[in-house]
Amino acid sequence: MDFRFTEDQLTLTESVRDYLAGTHGPEVLRRLDAGDKRDPAIWQGLVDMGLTALLVPEDQGGLGLGLVDAALIATECGRACLAEPLVEVAYVTWPWLLSRGELGDAEAFALGERTMPQAHVINPYWSDGVGLGETPSVDPLRLLYDNPLGISDDPHLLNLGALMSAAQLIGLADAMLTQATEYAKIRTQFGQPIGAFQAIKHQLASCAVAIEFARPVVWRAAAAMQDGIESAPVHVSHAKVVATDAAMLTAETAIQVHGAMGYTYEVDLHFWMKRSWALAGAWGSRAFHLKRVDAAVLGGTLEIGPQATFA
Amino acid sequence: MHLHYTPEQDAFRAEVRAWMEAHVPKEPLITLECREGYDQHVVWERTLASGNWGMVTWPEEFGGRGLDLIQWLIFEEEYFRAGGPNRANQNGIFLLGPTIMEFGTEEQKKRFLPPMARGEVIWAQAWSEPGAGSDMAAISSKAVRDGDHYIISGQKTWSSRAAFADWGFGMFRTDPDSKRHKGLTFILFDLNTPGISRRPIRQLHGETGFAELFFDEVRVPVENCLAGEGEGWNVAMATAGFERGLMLRSPGRFQATAKRLVELYLKHEVEASPATREAVVQAWGAAQAYAYNTYAVAAKIMGGGKIGAEASLNKIFWSELDRSMHRTAMQLLGAHAELKRFDNGNVNQWLEGYIFSLSGPIYAGSNEVQRNITAERLLGLPRIGAG
Repeated sequence: MDFRFTEDQLTLTESVRDYLAGTHGPEVLRRLDAGDKRDPAIWQGLVDMGLTALLVPEDQGGLGLGLVDAALIATECGRACLAEPLVEVAYVTWPWLLSRGELGDAEAFALGERTMPQAHVINPYWSDGVGLGETPSVDPLRLLYDNPLGISDDPHLLNLGALMSAAQLIGLADAMLTQATEYAKIRTQFGQPIGAFQAIKHQLASCAVAIEFARPVVWRAAAAMQDGIESAPVHVSHAKVVATDAAMLTAETAIQVHGAMGYTYEVDLHFWMKRSWALAGAWGSRAFHLKRVDAAVLGGTLEIGPQATFA
Repeated sequence: MHLHYTPEQDAFRAEVRAWMEAHVPKEPLITLECREGYDQHVVWERTLASGNWGMVTWPEEFGGRGLDLIQWLIFEEEYFRAGGPNRANQNGIFLLGPTIMEFGTEEQKKRFLPPMARGEVIWAQAWSEPGAGSDMAAISSKAVRDGDHYIISGQKTWSSRAAFADWGFGMFRTDPDSKRHKGLTFILFDLNTPGISRRPIRQLHGETGFAELFFDEVRVPVENCLAGEGEGWNVAMATAGFERGLMLRSPGRFQATAKRLVELYLKHEVEASPATREAVVQAWGAAQAYAYNTYAVAAKIMGGGKIGAEASLNKIFWSELDRSMHRTAMQLLGAHAELKRFDNGNVNQWLEGYIFSLSGPIYAGSNEVQRNITAERLLGLPRIGAG
């Protein structure tokens, strides 16, 4: 029993965070927003970091890491508001194929040649799919298409998608809390930074609480999926609910702390907020996942109580 | 991230479970906020000690079992699974004990820890003063050095367990010219020392558990000072870290409440609203989240880490969770909620628990103070007020 990441995991996460912070700041999001939405150079950078090969087995040319590692990277993608479909392709679609023994495209995934995610019935639109019917999302950097092709209804794919969305939501929430906090430090009113007022402090502190206690639920779900324990779907749903709640609370608080500036397209916050809205609904809404937790907890299919922390 | 118990940990759980099933009183004890209930709880502390369960993480020479924090969590889970009573000595074993372990001399450890583990000496805390509540650095009770004694004068209040306990601990101003956090000293004292008088305070539920303490030139030996003179604030911050961050409220307590809440809901399912249903599911989820977080904190400490200001996040979370779970239960109970005893004669523990849960966001540092600490030390927002 050791609820900690390994040194390797922490080092990898930090290097990805540093890389994205250095190469993928808000100015990049604005450039993509004004242009083609996707940039092969950004994708190639992720490939060169080994991130598309993360879950590909070593004997297939990958790094052979697990879903906990992938969830950590997904959190960093959320933090950077990454638009490229790394998470959906490399950490949802690929591990799903891997679990089915469909290894034919291993090399294409590892080398980042495969850029299209697998569609699932839970999502009526296909993000970064192909097709003629593009439909706009509120998130200016999300590419949605009507009528997905080759659609799957496999619950395992849904669970992977929900887990990785939850992980991204944690990173998004963290980033929005940082943005609001930094703004509260520099914006002065009544002769002092607004962050000195308790009305601001306490709202931001409540976001910190929500994120702090959503995070371990996501790691627990990731470990449950990686270990393949029977109750993993319940823990994934739990993770999606609390990560959604943390991100929505932080988004609403962050816009409030930014005041009228928060209501503009000029402040960076809106990119993170809109991604949060999108991921809150993708791969099963809060209501969908709450119902799955409800069925397990009130329906008696999951052992509950003090002795059942890791049931 | 390895979330499985070892065979040894499973065996330990089985050992605790068997002992608890054999020894936890079948009838709930009377509230420990009255003389009779307090005495019952002290008997229970000694029963626990007879099985060597007083404080399992302490070294054997101090009355413990030398176990690690994961085993402590397993112990706590089984304790609450079995419906174990509240710990009369929580101020000792969970707050002062770890503090003595960190700051005490070898002599102090030998003197104070074993009787604490055996339930022979029950401890009260004496943090607050009438003029120093949330603002603890405003403490004005004095301890004046006189040879090998301190002479203590002043007043403490809201001292939990102090109506009946044997010993107390608190901070006193040893440097009369000092201000705020400086010049404070952490001192342990026998509550029966001449010059100390206790005035039990009647609480919201009508019983007396905490008390005011009046010190009228009380002579306390210098060797009862923990860490050095003037080091009180640092010691108290460590104690508060244990209190808020890990020890005082282990997750088993809340998981047990959540499980009882699920059972209560299922009895009232027909008339309960969907919103109440969601609150029940959320209660399970929050108690689980708290448990995961605690396992993560335990792993961090076992790996050499320390609890920092994030203890404030913890305290906010468990206190607000406890209040919300009991509020939901009161809603489910409807017209029965106000009954002190149900028709079958059983004490309405939801009502008692709800009343107690209202103190959670206040004690151990009010949640407003915890939110300030979170904003200033974790988020780095500007500090306000006197430093």
